[in-house]
Amino acid sequence: MKKIIAVHSYKGGTGKTLMSTNLAAIYAMNKYKVALFDMDFRAPSLHAIFKVNSTKYWLNDYLNGICNIKNVIVNCPSKVNDYLYLGLANPSTEAIREMSAKDRKWEMKALGRLLSLRNTLLNDLDFDYLIMDTSPGLQYSSINAIVSADTVIVITTMDISDIQGTQRMVRELYDLFEKKTGIIVNKVPIEMISTLEEREKLRKKYEEISNLPVIDVAPCFCDVLRLGGNTIFSLEKPEHPFTKILKEIATKIQKL
Amino acid sequence: MKSREKTLRRSEMQLLEKIKESLDKLNEKMEIIIELQKQEPRNLPEQLPDALDVMTLLSLPDHLRKTAITICKLGRATADEVAEQTKRARAVESAYLNQLVLMGYLKKERVGRKAYFYVEREGEKQ
Repeated sequence: MKKIIAVHSYKGGTGKTLMSTNLAAIYAMNKYKVALFDMDFRAPSLHAIFKVNSTKYWLNDYLNGICNIKNVIVNCPSKVNDYLYLGLANPSTEAIREMSAKDRKWEMKALGRLLSLRNTLLNDLDFDYLIMDTSPGLQYSSINAIVSADTVIVITTMDISDIQGTQRMVRELYDLFEKKTGIIVNKVPIEMISTLEEREKLRKKYEEISNLPVIDVAPCFCDVLRLGGNTIFSLEKPEHPFTKILKEIATKIQKL
Repeated sequence: MKSREKTLRRSEMQLLEKIKESLDKLNEKMEIIIELQKQEPRNLPEQLPDALDVMTLLSLPDHLRKTAITICKLGRATADEVAEQTKRARAVESAYLNQLVLMGYLKKERVGRKAYFYVEREGEKQ
């Protein structure tokens, strides 16, 4: 089933971009047509990960109403380029400053443009998935993405402030917009979940103590850090145990 | 004799339909009045709001938020079309939509017998 997924978190540095890029790559490897959008206008990153240094139009331009979404989407220069497409945020300081100074009227129009993507991308352009990587916390751009999405995937660490912030966002944001929500507890020390049973036990424990819909817990592998965000992990290391976990998470999200 | 009875029955049916239609209209107006009474005057914004953005959507009561988001998604719609999406009664949606119009978040336009509701976005076609 076609789906718009927003990947969000309460705090920064939880692994949203890692999860978004890998989810997009895994679905594309499975021959689903995927659009991956960088909705973090305060700190864009997809242009660096996918090494796209310039583009005629950015997502900023689409939201500003000066171009069509077809002008923004670029084919991804990777091993799955027939299926994976990108919508990039403008990383220039001037663009970041401009995006952070938008008023409520502009944000309302931007919401309208994001809502219209369901028709343009999923129906007209026949995409199977739109994955939106957002900024952490209660940012306008992130809430706009959440309202436009079918499913919200929230990445949290084990940090108590992160868990509590996530609980608040579920109650006061995702539930109010009636969104399907799935929580992933990321960066769990590998020795805590070295077997599948331990992983499931910890997932259940987090689900019980936090009263959140935890779909999985993911370990912190130093191999991920070693790549320095230079590439898409699941494409670079298809046989790695972390890739296996990412694939399992991708399947769970499809079933949400 | 029988044909006269038939004609009478048909005119009775027409009369009943007219009464039902009037009752539906009355019911719709009553719903609007009830909703307006629920909203005390001091809770209404002093100045008309200028945007139905996500932060405004978050601040709306649950029942109105659902209606407002549906209009944001549909762009421009009748109470019937909104009710189809929200699975609530048409009269209820009509009351909520009219309340959102009074609060200044939506615009209303009549085309013939139909009333269309929309979010006004300057520079964009409705």
